[in-house]
Amino acid sequence: MPIRLFRMPPQIFRLVLLIFAIVVIYLVARILLTPSSFRDYGFYRGAALAENMAHTPVFAGKKACDECHSDILAKLAKDVHQTLACEGCHGVSRDHVDNPELKLVIPEDDTCIRCHEANPSRPAWFRQIKVKDHYMENHCAECHVPHQPNKVP
Amino acid sequence: MNDAIPRRRVLATMGGVAAGLLALPLARKIKNKFVSSGAPKDYDPNQHQWLMCLDVDKCIGCGLCADACKTENHVPGEPCYFRTWIERYIIRKPAPGSNNLRGAVLVDSPNGGRGGFPPASTPRQDILKSFFVPKLCNLCAASPCIQVCPVGATFDTPDGAVLVDPNYCIGCGFCIQACPYGCRFLSPVTRTAEKCTLCYHRITRGLKPACVEICPTGARVFGDLKHPVPDDPLQAFVRKNKVNTLKPHLGTNPRLLYANLDKEVR
Repeated sequence: MPIRLFRMPPQIFRLVLLIFAIVVIYLVARILLTPSSFRDYGFYRGAALAENMAHTPVFAGKKACDECHSDILAKLAKDVHQTLACEGCHGVSRDHVDNPELKLVIPEDDTCIRCHEANPSRPAWFRQIKVKDHYMENHCAECHVPHQPNKVP
Repeated sequence: MNDAIPRRRVLATMGGVAAGLLALPLARKIKNKFVSSGAPKDYDPNQHQWLMCLDVDKCIGCGLCADACKTENHVPGEPCYFRTWIERYIIRKPAPGSNNLRGAVLVDSPNGGRGGFPPASTPRQDILKSFFVPKLCNLCAASPCIQVCPVGATFDTPDGAVLVDPNYCIGCGFCIQACPYGCRFLSPVTRTAEKCTLCYHRITRGLKPACVEICPTGARVFGDLKHPVPDDPLQAFVRKNKVNTLKPHLGTNPRLLYANLDKEVR
């Protein structure tokens, strides 16, 4: 029988074994429960960024319009309506981009009035009209060119 | 003793189970490499720093931004769920003999300003001044919403957006209470906190956020601080305007900048 320098009492040995088992279970659980992309960018799940990116955009954007309608966009860029987005007046155009057969709605007077109706909260530099004093019997586009508002039709 | 399970087999089974469990995260990582999530692949968040600036003097209160945001992000239609909205500030003239420069401040936002603003209830001659303020997530550098989240489901991305991880959010609503700007809400659809993501799905594809895209007056300026373009709109904005942030006294350190902000704006 080999001579032992230190004989560990059995109750201490069991305690050490128990602590060892707890540490192992903790480490295994930690590896299993931590998402694989955790700490990719910071103290959070990095895959959440990709999940936020994964939605499909709804608005097509002015660049998509420019692919076919660059003539209208060139006209638009010359006048005060240059800051307007196409989809602001013409509505969401993604379906039209995918299938040009689907025509967009031609904006009506309420589209113009939405921005240009006089309102004391609007900034003074912005061109406003009092709709009821402003040629009620005519449509806006009869006197104004929507893409070039300063041009006389 | 013949029907007893041999010790060797027990140990081998246990070892196999442990090895399998340890290999699981690795297997998940490999699976994610091959299964496409629909996110743009060539986008590196560390190479960008997005920022939005707003000019109060350019906002005309048309409500197109609030409308576009709901369409783009499929936000529930009820008038209490907004990722961006417009507030109308009306500052009344002071009462005669009150020794004040300004009267009462009235703030309203009917349906978030989505359908434009109806005429104000205050008659025009009683209004000292009035203006519209577009609101959205202030992109705080020291966000209270991130600090309070008990499960770490909201975080500051390296490219300057504050996002919610919908898979980890438990919908406790702490962040909604913590946000001093009221920019979060509990979605009745997903039962998680939702907020402005700076249209993260658009900016990572090279598009502008929907509200910036649709704003007819250029009141919203958006750009990448790490990739300034010639005549960068953000740099021009800061150069031309006196810029300020909302509620600077709270120490949230918002990155979102406002130009021509009145002291009454909260």
